[in-house]
Amino acid sequence: MRHIISILLQNEAGALARVAGLFAARGYNIDSLTVAATHDPLVSRLSLVLHGDNAVIDQIIKQSRKLIDVLDVADLTARAHLESELLIVKVRMLAGNDDALDACLYRHRAFPIDESEDIELGNIRTIQFAGPGSAVDAFIGELSAVSRLIELARSGTAALERGSPVLAVEA
Amino acid sequence: MNAQLDIADNDLSSASDETVAAHPLAGHTLSGAEIVVQVLADEGADVLFGYSGGAILPVYDAIFRYNHDHPNANGSEPMPLIVPANEQGAAFMAAGYARASGKVGVAVVTSGPGATNTVTPIRDSMADSIPMVLICGQVPRPAIGTDAFQEAPISNIMGACAKHVFLVTDAELLEATLRSAFEIARSGRPGPVVIDIPKDVQNTELTFRGEGTLPLPGYRARLRTVQNAKLDDAACTAFFAALERSRRPLIYAGGGVIASDGAAALREFAQAFGIPVTTTLMGLGAYDTTDPLALHMLGMHGTAYANYAVDDCDFLFTLGARFDDRVAGVPKQFAAGARFIAQIDIDPAEIGKVKPVQWHHLGDLPRALRRLREYGREHGFDPQRENRYAGWHTHVAELKHVHAMNYDRASPLIQPYAVIEAINRITDGRAIISTGVGQHQMWAAQYFDFREPRHWLTSGSMGTMGFGLPAAIGAQFARPGAVVIDIDGDASIRMNIGELETVTTYNLPVKIVVLNNCGDGMVRQWQKLFFKGRFASTDKSLHKKDFVKTAQADGFAWAQRLDRPEAVEQTIADFIAYPGPAFLEVMIDPDANVYPMVGPGASYAQMVCGDFIVARSEPAAADVNPSSMF
Repeated sequence: MRHIISILLQNEAGALARVAGLFAARGYNIDSLTVAATHDPLVSRLSLVLHGDNAVIDQIIKQSRKLIDVLDVADLTARAHLESELLIVKVRMLAGNDDALDACLYRHRAFPIDESEDIELGNIRTIQFAGPGSAVDAFIGELSAVSRLIELARSGTAALERGSPVLAVEA
Repeated sequence: MNAQLDIADNDLSSASDETVAAHPLAGHTLSGAEIVVQVLADEGADVLFGYSGGAILPVYDAIFRYNHDHPNANGSEPMPLIVPANEQGAAFMAAGYARASGKVGVAVVTSGPGATNTVTPIRDSMADSIPMVLICGQVPRPAIGTDAFQEAPISNIMGACAKHVFLVTDAELLEATLRSAFEIARSGRPGPVVIDIPKDVQNTELTFRGEGTLPLPGYRARLRTVQNAKLDDAACTAFFAALERSRRPLIYAGGGVIASDGAAALREFAQAFGIPVTTTLMGLGAYDTTDPLALHMLGMHGTAYANYAVDDCDFLFTLGARFDDRVAGVPKQFAAGARFIAQIDIDPAEIGKVKPVQWHHLGDLPRALRRLREYGREHGFDPQRENRYAGWHTHVAELKHVHAMNYDRASPLIQPYAVIEAINRITDGRAIISTGVGQHQMWAAQYFDFREPRHWLTSGSMGTMGFGLPAAIGAQFARPGAVVIDIDGDASIRMNIGELETVTTYNLPVKIVVLNNCGDGMVRQWQKLFFKGRFASTDKSLHKKDFVKTAQADGFAWAQRLDRPEAVEQTIADFIAYPGPAFLEVMIDPDANVYPMVGPGASYAQMVCGDFIVARSEPAAADVNPSSMF
């Protein structure tokens, strides 16, 4: 089963490596991992997506809580939550598909952030899209039908619990 | 980063206003190295173990000056620095000191190879929950990441092995980091903490504050939760409702009882209600093994009677133990007759990790046990008066009698069990025993009496050969007046044999016994049982080492070889009575095995008892291929 785990982490030397190392040492494959500082510059938030049965995930969450730099951990999977992922994708235009591409971008609320001409490849566009991972997958599928994908970068999933609950260490 | 330190200071300010006088050196300018030594002294370090080198020289110089300037009343050094043959020895000495005393052991080593040589003892201490602080020199900050001389990525390497590792990149945080390292090492589930200190940080002039720790908000919040956890009436009621229904309750006690100083509370609880106790390898000493309620050790090489009692119990009370594979074997079949399993631990990750439990409490173990005992007494729970467990006590006594430990007492060869029994008789089971890893370790666990905590020092989880000798050295520093005996094997002692010289250098009265069976006995036992007797690389009968000459070369005035069974008693008496360092090699029956044995991946029903311990039934056939198990 797919799990989304959020971890609040103190910004200390090696803290991210210790979290990643814990998962690696116990044999868990991480599907995606995002990390950046929060509005408190001393605290980072990690979002991990991974697959495993509930008992296994429960154990890895308990092990994560034993790391000194970890402020708190939550498995958002079973809670109402919002998730989003950023995609930046570079495509080569196919002759006669300009309108189809524009329609695809419009439908998915994606937009071009760069455009350039290459002597050999022709018109190159870089497109930005944000949405849940499944929407990113669907968008990439449609985009590849109307253009030639040449490079892409996905940020991995970021997630927050819906409504008022907030992940924070107790005072 | 400075903001963090301010938060910590605010946390402490209220306490310091009321009671704590300012540190006499507060406000003074000290070098980073001097701050290291001052905080070590403030935290109670009375001996350090370590090996010098370029990147740690400022700290070594500061230790030298501290000892020179602060002699004890008798002129001795307040913080002697004990130098091993290898840094692995230093950190195992610190671990032996910590295990024997319950205090944080401290080792101080240089960068690169000095630090990497301690990876094994750090992991060993993590796996056995031993409090330790390891201070490593590191190359100066500008050189980090340049493949400098004696540089190694210690924070990465140790991050995977230790309870925590600090790389001090901000000199201003050095003092708070040192204090926090001790706090982390000794609090919660104890463990080793590594501080990697670049040489230029050691040389930085800093203002000593005399107080303050890092904020560690997540760790402290979780620690408060377990430290403040109380057993409420509902939890006590549920516990006793289950215990009321039990007629065959059993306590399964692990190393957590010793780490939490819970032995007295365990004794009071077990004796108040008359509940028999078996302990893990790490729990030996948590309950006096000579007590009628004691069943000694359970598990892979536990006593047959303890393992049968686990099979027969209907209520299992797990205290500071974690259903390790060497104990639980096949978790589903472990204590399969127990309708109710209760567990107390301080680590939330140990609840339900291996075996589901019906009741658990996360918190301080002795406090929880005392609360349960009082609750039971107040609510009229008195199985002793009702003689409720009379049948169970009779059954347990019969198990102990019928399935007692035994061996070939008529053999013309020296039996290792007889050697342990003789040492036990002569020391009245009160010596501090360390071991290597293998058959000799299990024989020592099985045939010694353990009356008190912290008398049994063994590498339980990691199973590190070479642990015994340096651990004994560390223990002797922790308990200068105690009889400390390293029970070792001929293969295990080779791993850190350089530390023989450390014993005589410091004139420690450590006693070293090598049970020599000319090879890796435990591996040979597995090869006999599971690999059709193909003794790949485990036979050392053609090895040329003369252990007695080795000991003599390292300065042992008392070094003897014992190879006549009739001389066992007298030789061991002389050996123990010798006032200084003593070394005894005993040529034992090379075919002696460790029984009982629950094979890897097997259940207790498949326990093999050998020819001299009475089994209850023929062992059930194995349902896994043991050669594939670990």
